[in-house]
Amino acid sequence: MSVVDEVAKRPATRKPPESNSAAKSDGSAERARLRLMMLIRRFEERTVQEYQKAGQKIGGFCHVYSGQEAIAVGISAIFQKGKDQLINGYRCHGHSLALGMPARDCFAELFGKATGCSKGKGGSMHFFDAEAGNNGGHGIVGGHIPVGLGLAFAQKYKNTGGVTFCLFGDGAINQGTHNEALNMASLMKAPVIWIVENNGVAMGTQVERSSAEKDLAERGSGYAMPHYHVDGNDVDTVIEKFGAAVERARKGEGPSYIVADTYRFRGHSMSDAMKYRTKDEMEKAKLRDPITLYEVRLREQGLLTQEQIDQLQEEVSKEVADAVAQADNDPHPQLEDRFDDILAEKYPYQPK
Amino acid sequence: MARPCLLLNPTSRHGRAARGTADRTTPMAQLQFRQALRAAMTEEMERDENVFLIGEEVAEYNGAYKVSEGMLDKFGPKRIIDTPISEAAFSGLAVGSACMGLRPIVEFMSWSFTWVCIDQIVNNAANVRYMSGGQYKVPVVFRGGNGIAHQLGATHSHRMESVYARIPGLIVVHPSTPADAKGLLKSSIRCDDPVIFLESEKMLNELGEVPDDADYTVPIGVANVERQGKDVTLVSYGRALQRVVRPAVKALADDHGIDVELIDLRTLRPMDTKTCIESIKKTNRCVIVDEDWGYCGMGSGILQKLQKPAFDYLDAPIEYVHSDEIPVPFNHYLEEAMMPSVDRIVSAVKEVCYR
Repeated sequence: MSVVDEVAKRPATRKPPESNSAAKSDGSAERARLRLMMLIRRFEERTVQEYQKAGQKIGGFCHVYSGQEAIAVGISAIFQKGKDQLINGYRCHGHSLALGMPARDCFAELFGKATGCSKGKGGSMHFFDAEAGNNGGHGIVGGHIPVGLGLAFAQKYKNTGGVTFCLFGDGAINQGTHNEALNMASLMKAPVIWIVENNGVAMGTQVERSSAEKDLAERGSGYAMPHYHVDGNDVDTVIEKFGAAVERARKGEGPSYIVADTYRFRGHSMSDAMKYRTKDEMEKAKLRDPITLYEVRLREQGLLTQEQIDQLQEEVSKEVADAVAQADNDPHPQLEDRFDDILAEKYPYQPK
Repeated sequence: MARPCLLLNPTSRHGRAARGTADRTTPMAQLQFRQALRAAMTEEMERDENVFLIGEEVAEYNGAYKVSEGMLDKFGPKRIIDTPISEAAFSGLAVGSACMGLRPIVEFMSWSFTWVCIDQIVNNAANVRYMSGGQYKVPVVFRGGNGIAHQLGATHSHRMESVYARIPGLIVVHPSTPADAKGLLKSSIRCDDPVIFLESEKMLNELGEVPDDADYTVPIGVANVERQGKDVTLVSYGRALQRVVRPAVKALADDHGIDVELIDLRTLRPMDTKTCIESIKKTNRCVIVDEDWGYCGMGSGILQKLQKPAFDYLDAPIEYVHSDEIPVPFNHYLEEAMMPSVDRIVSAVKEVCYR
């Protein structure tokens, strides 16, 4: 059974769990989450448009997050700023926006501008905001997993009480780093949550053809840590299940391995025409669009009206349009700036 | 992966006095290269609680080559950390923790094993500062045995200096004396950039005078003119310098009347080109010696840095003495034969001197 079939048979809406204190709130937190998901979607769809404009406006590889918003936004709901850390591989736009990076800084980075979050030196795959605890955006599949272990190691070493969210795709689980880092994290009881954003396809190769063990949560077994699936399209489920893993890590009980099943509405990158997908599969997936699911739930719960939802949509559209306009007018880095940010210190005879 | 265990020979063949920046009044101790490394790590760990040591067998086993002997007892398992045989995981761990303000020292039993974690060192340690627009400092030291040791065969004998010295974002250090080993390692631990610190299993028993002042350091990026001379500039570093270059310099003086100016580079990136060029201006001749393969080897890089600025002062093309371009053979005689020898260096020097 494909991931799509599996998530499709789950109920379209569900009541948030009783234990979730948000259920008793005035709805402002829920509205903020919905808005954030809408912002990420609007940002990504605009990114696609900007990418397709002539003149290499964005250039390079560009992987958008459309369809997976509930995971990043769910994490942002439990992420403690100033304490927790996040690191991920591809599709870092969504995570960066979720952790509070202004859309303008993101677009500026995509356009290679000096005002970008990495001064135009990182690009789509390398959004960083160290102060926010957002440790990037890494371009080698699986290469950041040991670094995530290191972030958690430092949290434990310094006894900060923080946890690290280390995200990667279903493609990364077949890298050797995955095995090595999971094993060491468990030995060290490092406060890290390993999160597989399972969108069912690694670049253009379906999970069924790339993973011998079809149940990806089982890939977390053998490392003596809890491992389970969650519905990655349901923001409330993400908050609840990830929250439990975070509590466990904060208590010093070590890492957890969570497979968040989701769906990628766009190709792996801009050059991917998604010929490996059928129309039927994509239609089915749209029924499980995380934003639509959440809108329906909030309407049912009386927390939002359709008019208010439309209003939110207008707001995020304007925010994205303004961000693009600002980023468009931002300067490119000075050519001599290319020699900056290589080393932290000055050495005698350092070559320029 | 089979791991070598070299016999620990307490006697040294080439005890030498320390040079470098040490104050002559500084108290000296006669230390092995490994003891000098241990002293550097111990002093820096006492100075800064953010410094820790991680690697295979560094703790309970007291270090595969006994560099970290006794450090677990002194600092405990929080700071002296044994790992599984997982180079990618623990080198990446070090990078992540360095981004968070810790100062890890990673011990690789052999730099040959780092082929499996070059991604961590290059894409993460060296690139993350640049890719993030300068948001991170990555103060990590990767250290361990580099190069040909003794009949370890092709897989365990790699000279990795040219692999790392070409990477912007990394510092590459290769000491050739116990005193420099201590002083440079202390500078490397205090440094805010990722440092590739290369040693040699075959040098760990070498004895030398080492200052025991806790503030003794040797600066990164500054070469050492080890011997003044007027006839030819000889540029080398690390094990080649210790194994064949110094004996060759003596033979050239004693048997051929050639007065060599000997430069120990100590840091390979950023390279101290100024000291080399000043020397060539005086001698008008230059020979580079290392144990790397020649093509795209470390010496090729050094040559590229010297050739143009030194051209007007050169009376002969720069010579480069390197290892034969073959996988490192297991057989002792073949292994010896592939490496630069005293004879090869003497011929190269005679050639540039037209003698």
